Amino acid sequence: MGTYDKSISSGSSSSSKPPDQIDSLLSGAGYKVRSSELRTVAQSLERLDNVLVNNYLEISHHLSNDAIHYNPSDLFSWVDSLLSEFNQPVPMPDQSTLSDPAYVNTLVVPTLDPTVNAGVWTEHHAAPQHGIQQQLTVVTAMEEDPGIQLVHVLMTCADTIQRGELSLAGTLIEKLQDLLTRVNTGFGMGKVAGYFIEALSRRLFSTLLYTNRSVYESEFLYHNFYEACPYLKFAHFTANQAILEAFDGHDCVHVIDFSFMQGLQWPALIQALALRSGGPPFLRLTGIGPPSSDGHDSLSEVGLRLAELARFMNVRFVFRGVVASRLDDIKPCELQVNPNEAVAINSIMQLHRLLNSNSTHNSSIDFVLAWIRNLNPIIMTVVEQEANHNQPEFFDRFTAALYYYSTLFDSLEACSAQPEKALAEMYIQRELCNVVCCEGSARVERHEPLATWRVRLSGAGFKPLQLGSNAFKQASMLLTLFSAEGYCVEENEGCLTLGWHNRPLIAASAWQAVAEPRPPLEH
Amino acid sequence: MAGSNEVNVNESKKVVPLNTWVLISNFKLAYNLLRRPDGSFNRHLAEFLERKVPANANPVDGVFSFDVIIDRGIGLLSRIYRPTDAEEGLPSITELEKPLSSDVVPVIIFFHGGSFAHSSANSAIYDTLCRRLVGICKGVVVSVNYRRAPENHYPCAYEDGWAALNWVNSRLWLQSQKDSKVHIYLAGDSSGGNIVHNVALRAGESGIDVLGNIVLNPMFGGERRTESEKRLDGKYFVTIQDRDWYWRAFLPDGEDRDHPACNPFGPKGISLEGIKFPKSLVVVAGLDLLQDWQLAYVEGLKKAGQEVKLLYMKQATIGFYLLPNNDHFYTVMDEISNFVSSN
Repeated sequence: MGTYDKSISSGSSSSSKPPDQIDSLLSGAGYKVRSSELRTVAQSLERLDNVLVNNYLEISHHLSNDAIHYNPSDLFSWVDSLLSEFNQPVPMPDQSTLSDPAYVNTLVVPTLDPTVNAGVWTEHHAAPQHGIQQQLTVVTAMEEDPGIQLVHVLMTCADTIQRGELSLAGTLIEKLQDLLTRVNTGFGMGKVAGYFIEALSRRLFSTLLYTNRSVYESEFLYHNFYEACPYLKFAHFTANQAILEAFDGHDCVHVIDFSFMQGLQWPALIQALALRSGGPPFLRLTGIGPPSSDGHDSLSEVGLRLAELARFMNVRFVFRGVVASRLDDIKPCELQVNPNEAVAINSIMQLHRLLNSNSTHNSSIDFVLAWIRNLNPIIMTVVEQEANHNQPEFFDRFTAALYYYSTLFDSLEACSAQPEKALAEMYIQRELCNVVCCEGSARVERHEPLATWRVRLSGAGFKPLQLGSNAFKQASMLLTLFSAEGYCVEENEGCLTLGWHNRPLIAASAWQAVAEPRPPLEH
Repeated sequence: MAGSNEVNVNESKKVVPLNTWVLISNFKLAYNLLRRPDGSFNRHLAEFLERKVPANANPVDGVFSFDVIIDRGIGLLSRIYRPTDAEEGLPSITELEKPLSSDVVPVIIFFHGGSFAHSSANSAIYDTLCRRLVGICKGVVVSVNYRRAPENHYPCAYEDGWAALNWVNSRLWLQSQKDSKVHIYLAGDSSGGNIVHNVALRAGESGIDVLGNIVLNPMFGGERRTESEKRLDGKYFVTIQDRDWYWRAFLPDGEDRDHPACNPFGPKGISLEGIKFPKSLVVVAGLDLLQDWQLAYVEGLKKAGQEVKLLYMKQATIGFYLLPNNDHFYTVMDEISNFVSSN
């Protein structure tokens, strides 16, 4: 084996630093490799290269088409997983994932070496949290869009509000409303600016900052958002795929859905479980939803329909509805988890609602994450908006929201179905309004980016379960089939994001509770 | 492949730092998995494996970036990198397209490499490189997310480059104060270098001023096997076989490697004599198997009376400019800086 040119390699960052540091140059290229492991990775790459040279067609085909890849940033593990792929007998090439809508792929079950990955996570993500907060991603069509001039005044207005110069802010709102009349508000930045002007105006002038909306109305708008664009569909099928894989080998399973919302996610999972090899498990589904204002029990209604579907598919099924206004109102015993069942927690855009403005003392989220962990779920699927809408300074939040929602609205332009599109826009507008107008406990849309959630969840005793290339491919293919061009799925260190024009807008991840250390013998 | 694989691997390990070896070998491995013998490409796995970074309008080390939609119809995006205005402090988010304040500001339109099939404007390695170029050239960099092969054959990448050139040329806010014109340079590595040549040709025909071409390890080829290809086949990460695959993926069906897109000074090439063409800085790595084609490109430009400077880096391999851990990197960055500031 040859030696590396030592005089050149002293230029690399590995020479004088402690050996478990991550190579900073490779990190800039998107790869997290410990300096101490570089040599091992190189040796593995070399071995793989030799094997490929000798058996190119067979190995390449298998690694490319059948093997599931995870987290390419963790080069050590990725290369290692490829090596172990062909040390085993090559499985019979079988169905393509396209032909099987129940996403059966049992060739590789995702497992995780907790020692390797826990180290990489804590070491790397403890560091630049401050830097993470300052990421601001902008996609713009620039001066082709006449509404862009409104952005300048909007920003100035937000700045004056932050500085408490409220009468000046009021004047700027009037100016904005005037500018708005001269711009086409039917599309583009003009339309988005209109929503933001309205939100700012409510913040300044309206006494009724937080209207209580009926559950029916919320669910109706949510349903249309689901139909008009792929974000929720992506959330559901990515979470379902991860849950399906986690449930492999378990006969009693219990899914706890943090926001039932008409149960849109669950028919597909029931079907997939029905079709899994070895037969379906006994499935319990607990759906959490807010109290209804009109006495209408939509939780049970939908639960009944799901039960009918399950019966039709020969899946033993029980549904329970749990009513709660907030997740931290729930006592875990209400969920009636049995010790012999495998539990999956499913949280689609719910965890951020538990956050407050205080970054260090977050009792609600800590409380809920603690009882989740105590339930010892085999998987917790988390989908969150990929945005920084909980920053302490109003101006920063406003700026982040402006660009996040302008990209989101832009993606919706590709949808032609009405009235789904208009209602989906209303859904988004309400969310945006909460970010901009509300404060304190009324501001529930406290989105934080994936990088921040990683730190928070790792700190709360969870380790990542990585989403692999099979989930990625499935998401990409479904998008190609059903959605406009411009959507992009990206892999982000074991998580998947869906975005528009290269700007991630929603992030999906999966987690597992870290095993408790053995309790001491004496009590 | 010439020589045994073990010998080849040992050769490449001797000439690059360990982390560079790991980086480029990783690409080589991944790319081997993605190319299929029938000419198709595993795009899903390619996108899964690609390491990308989002744009950041907040400055990092004096550079901020944002994405623009150049052509909505084909989904053509570019990433713009600008230096922070030192006097103003942090740029306000409203001032992404604030007019350039200096007398002369070079605007470099950058085409990333990847042999026409791999990478994107938001690839981590190219985001890093473009940020460096901003500092080195004290200018604005526009990185074009051109359409790739094999899904898009010739001339899509050139069309996208042309669209980007026109877009840049018509932005008022990219004009230099001195003469109210946009001072445009074209730059690219590997396939990006090839795109630079073709876009520059078209610019000359159409009267758009390009002040200079910077091509790093440009991707050219031809039907015959050159001495450097035979000698270096498989020795430093690249094989003749993979080059052939990428040309088949990019060139129109039925065309061979003497097509002028691949072989501009070959039997089907056109003469550049008397044609308006920018001065060129051509960087050739001495361990790149394509060097004979690249040197022939330099000769072709010279014979046509075009201004060209060759920078031959004898011990450099492909990708030496991706990590700042070798002398070649610094030499080339200095040359690029001089090339751009000498106008």
